[in-house]
Amino acid sequence: MALINIYHLYPGHLNLYGDRGNMLALCRRAGWHGIDIAVIPVEPGDKICFSSCDLLFMGGGQDSDQQLVAEDLKSRRDEMRKAIDAGMTIFAVCGSYQLLGHYYVTSQGKQIDGLGIVDLYTETGQKRLIGNAVVNCSLWKPPRTLVGFENHAGKTYLGSSLKPLGEVITGYGNNGTDKTEGAVYKNVIGTYLHGSLLPKNPWLTDYLLQKALSYRNQKYQLLSLDDTLEKQAHRATIRLASSRRHKLQSTRA
Amino acid sequence: MRKEQLQKFHTGGFNDRLFVTKLLGAVWAGKTLMILTRILGRGGTTLPGRIALTIAPRLSSSLIGQLAEGSLIVTGTNGKTTTTALITGILKEAGFRCVHNQSGSNMAWGVASALIEASSWTAKLPGNYAVMEVDEGAFPGVTQSIQPRGIVLTNVFRDQLDRYGEIDNIRNSLKRGLEAQPTSGFQVINADDPSLVSIENNSCTTRWTYGLDLDLPTDTFQNTGRDIKTCPRCQKKLNYDKIYFAHLGHYHCPSCNYRRPEPDIKLTGRRINSAGTAVLQISLPNEKIELAFPLLGTYNLYNLLAAVTCAQALSIPVRVISQALEKAVPSFGRMETFKLNNKTIIMALIKNPVGANEVLRTILTQKDNIAILMAINDKIADGTDVSWLWDVDFEQLSAVKDKLSAVLVSGLRAWDMAVRFKYAGFNPDQIQIEEETNLAINKAIEKTPPGGLLFILPTYTAMLEIHRTLNKMGLGKPYWED
Repeated sequence: MALINIYHLYPGHLNLYGDRGNMLALCRRAGWHGIDIAVIPVEPGDKICFSSCDLLFMGGGQDSDQQLVAEDLKSRRDEMRKAIDAGMTIFAVCGSYQLLGHYYVTSQGKQIDGLGIVDLYTETGQKRLIGNAVVNCSLWKPPRTLVGFENHAGKTYLGSSLKPLGEVITGYGNNGTDKTEGAVYKNVIGTYLHGSLLPKNPWLTDYLLQKALSYRNQKYQLLSLDDTLEKQAHRATIRLASSRRHKLQSTRA
Repeated sequence: MRKEQLQKFHTGGFNDRLFVTKLLGAVWAGKTLMILTRILGRGGTTLPGRIALTIAPRLSSSLIGQLAEGSLIVTGTNGKTTTTALITGILKEAGFRCVHNQSGSNMAWGVASALIEASSWTAKLPGNYAVMEVDEGAFPGVTQSIQPRGIVLTNVFRDQLDRYGEIDNIRNSLKRGLEAQPTSGFQVINADDPSLVSIENNSCTTRWTYGLDLDLPTDTFQNTGRDIKTCPRCQKKLNYDKIYFAHLGHYHCPSCNYRRPEPDIKLTGRRINSAGTAVLQISLPNEKIELAFPLLGTYNLYNLLAAVTCAQALSIPVRVISQALEKAVPSFGRMETFKLNNKTIIMALIKNPVGANEVLRTILTQKDNIAILMAINDKIADGTDVSWLWDVDFEQLSAVKDKLSAVLVSGLRAWDMAVRFKYAGFNPDQIQIEEETNLAINKAIEKTPPGGLLFILPTYTAMLEIHRTLNKMGLGKPYWED
């Protein structure tokens, strides 16, 4: 039977905005596909080895938590980079997406170093970027939409050769100006979208599971699941995001 | 106000007369709009206050200034409405006349609407106290404007992050509000909440604290709402001897020695009497009292303590406090109960993971024949981000899904809720979806077995809609007729 080891990084600190929903989606869908899942929670200071990790999930955190985990993460940087080069899958949301980049400038102007693994940097903007978001994502051919909710003060800018996760249709994305949202580097996916993101975008959940399986050369064909509810919720969010009501509510960059 | 401004204000000059004219105009506009909106069957808690504040921005302070005893503000994430109602109940029992925003409309304009409603057409506000629940974000502004005599802080949980950003912003907002209070006033603070106690502020008001001192069964819920994992002073890990729910409990920090202060008012015991009511032992600074308290749930114990502590700060006699609390009834939409033929409908507002978990806990204590209707909206008053639904432990509910006779989801985000239930472990066939809330209520009542219980769990604006529908069915009455 196929097995995926998911490392859940700092669940005690990075768990904002329904990150639990992303973990739940990965576990449930794996179960429905007939894949075994082992979830290993990792807290600061824990002794772990990325060589047995197939999929790493990192959620969002508040500023105070983020600084705490950033320190711990730096001690694991080289090991993490090695695993990424070998093809380990990472799914990072909001705060931890920012941490993967070179640095983050706080609202007080303080520069916090990131891991420097992904070629991006983040600056704090004047206003938080808040609202439902829809992006066009070319991980698939033809592209598929991803829907979520964003709420971030940071504005992230990608290096010239780094690919975004998607193109913004509604919402702000990385910085509210260049229409990009998230980033894809090797099998690392970073995004600002929560909501929770994975339950309402089941194709992204399956994409992550498939990548994690291929990483260990596990030849396993995912099943075709009944996603009626998920697709309805997905479509309802797209309708909502383009509605007049939503446009009035979302803040401007 | 600076001295020269004060002088100007009292000279009866042009500006003064202009202000009186504005105030009258604002009260008239507010009252007229209120009558109109109520003819339309709505509460009229937003628009009248908003328009009135545009006409006379100083309306709230000048109306409250007429009250003999001043004003009290209740703020925090959960428990505002119930605590405000309990305090008002005690003050009324003591013979005072009170104005309060019982609808739960708690932004600056909600406060203004409540004051306009209680004042006369000549802009005179009779009575002794104003007791107002105030939204955490609106708290600094409202405090600045009405200069409250007392402030009650219930707790800080993760709530509506789309509006406030992160919890650190909420704490910052509370700090600014506390510092805007007149120094002659008092504060009532939940000692069991480390994030509240640690709010450093420059105010030199008298501080009262309250907390639980009970042995309760261990909390089996996934506390994803436990935001305060680290010591708010030194950011190291915080240790707990007891956790009542979420991050409320007996805490101490091993590295900087920050710890729960010994509360002035404590709940030291709870037993159930022969009538099935909880009898509580409360330890006050000078005596111990026992009272029967009809409201369910651990969170209501905190609301009760907040009200008792506030009443102590106001020197209300202990006997009066007990008498008032024994008569407590659920507030608007907070475990409100309706009877229809032989079916019971209980409506419990949900707005964040911690509050929703507490409601689920109460549902789980019930026996069979339960139907559930979730009504999730995402308007501004509900919070536009519904990701908090994923932090609620609905898995506890799906563990007893065979006991449930029906599960319905409704509201603007009905599909999100349906997906949440699916991933909680419900079979998709068991989840019935009806986006129209009015239709969903009728379906839900139909699906409730005779003698059974229907739990309606709405977000704020869905609760208002459902209230109107139930009122039309002859159940309950609009809150403004209380």
